[in-house]
Amino acid sequence: MPKNPAPHTPIEVGDGAAIPHKGDAGLFTAWRIAFFGAIFVSLYLAFGKPDPYFEIFKFVPDGILVTFKVTVGAILLATLIGLITGLGRISSNRLVNGTASLYVEVIRGIPLLVQIFYIYYALGRFVKIPDMLSAIIAMAVCYGAYMGEVFRAGIQSIPKGQMEAALSLGMSRSQAMRQVILPQAFRVVLPPIGNEFIALLKDSSLVSILAVSDLLRRGREYASETFSYFETYTVIALIYLIMTLFFSKLIGIMEERLNAGK
Amino acid sequence: MKLLRTLAATAALLSTLSLTAFAAPKSIKVATDATWPPMEMVDANKQIVGYDIDFLKAVAKEAGVAVEIKNTAWDGIFAGLDSDRYDAIISSVTITKERQAKYDFTEPYTSIGQILVVPKTNKTAKVIADLKGKKVGAQIGTTGAMEIKKVTGVELKTYDEIGLAFEDMAAGRISGVVCDEPVAAHFALQKKEYRDKFKIVGKSFTKEAYGMVVKKGNKELVALLNKGIKAVKAKKLDVKIHTKWVK
Repeated sequence: MPKNPAPHTPIEVGDGAAIPHKGDAGLFTAWRIAFFGAIFVSLYLAFGKPDPYFEIFKFVPDGILVTFKVTVGAILLATLIGLITGLGRISSNRLVNGTASLYVEVIRGIPLLVQIFYIYYALGRFVKIPDMLSAIIAMAVCYGAYMGEVFRAGIQSIPKGQMEAALSLGMSRSQAMRQVILPQAFRVVLPPIGNEFIALLKDSSLVSILAVSDLLRRGREYASETFSYFETYTVIALIYLIMTLFFSKLIGIMEERLNAGK
Repeated sequence: MKLLRTLAATAALLSTLSLTAFAAPKSIKVATDATWPPMEMVDANKQIVGYDIDFLKAVAKEAGVAVEIKNTAWDGIFAGLDSDRYDAIISSVTITKERQAKYDFTEPYTSIGQILVVPKTNKTAKVIADLKGKKVGAQIGTTGAMEIKKVTGVELKTYDEIGLAFEDMAAGRISGVVCDEPVAAHFALQKKEYRDKFKIVGKSFTKEAYGMVVKKGNKELVALLNKGIKAVKAKKLDVKIHTKWVK
């Protein structure tokens, strides 16, 4: 037993998160294995077994474009709705707060498929909206509620002192929100928002219940004509996987950029 | 040597098993997509009813087997047969060359044709080609969808259920629907909400025959069902069923 134990190394108290951000762990990250693996399998199938795989790959690209458009459109709209809802949820105005809360509670309680269906066919009875747009609106309305909760949590995670400090500097409430709270909150919400994006991309397959020719519907059309269900769904799964991995990388890069200043 | 014997024994066992499975079925599972009124649909009492269902029951009675009817989505109904979820399909399946290449059919039990339905506001359209530059709907994977696809310049929209195509036409998103004639008559002439909005134009423009579908090579079941179909036709039961469901 050592008589003079080494003095404790002092605990460093820093600014950032308690657990530091971990960078890329070597050459074989999970992302790279999944992404390049999926591409490799796709290429192998397309060129190694061109019948029927190459045919399927040739048949579905316009579906990919539709899925991409619906996803990106819905993400932009949902983020906007989410931000408004999130701010509404922390508002002290009872009407605004109540409306935002009601929206979140109602939307969160109804399955996405039912909502998409309802918005598409119910709205269609009153106003004529092109099918692609109504698909985007349906997805955005559904995801706006979840995004709203993410934004609310993000904003509330910023210590109260920040707002107090900003106000004491003579900023107005909205100015403090825009210039002090939201930029900090954005960094906090980015990972969960990224999660929502990827979930939205996958859930966009639900719009194939509408007559929107997205990736899944294109695949189903191919399968129902050729009866090669297994092969078609393999291709569809691979394409969705590649797309979501692409998105997750994009969000990862954004996260790193935002954390670079830390 | 031993391995060879084991293999031979397994093969023999498997073949007897499959033979007994096919030989004289006492009860068969038959799938249908009950969204195709009046051929097959779910009534107010949640029972699957319709022309095909009555016909199947009559066939089963004549052939001496019990049937269990399973309601399945049309999209994937053939995949379910592939994976042995049921023994046969009766769901207004048109006998086509493409389908015959993958599955075995019974002999035809009734014949129909495809027909076009348009909104009443459209005074000029008579055939699909008249709807160039517009969207025309059909149920996914049906002969109606294939007919629309043949016409260049018309955009095909596919739906999971034919009722959704009519609903979308009521909302003004598509300009026509193509489906089997009795189904068109059901939606365009009998359904209260649509009667004032839609009309059937022209005559049916294809000649198609419905058959029951079984897995490729299931000769015993085809023979059994054919025996039943022949008996039903001989007793003129099919005429009775026809007048009951198709007006």
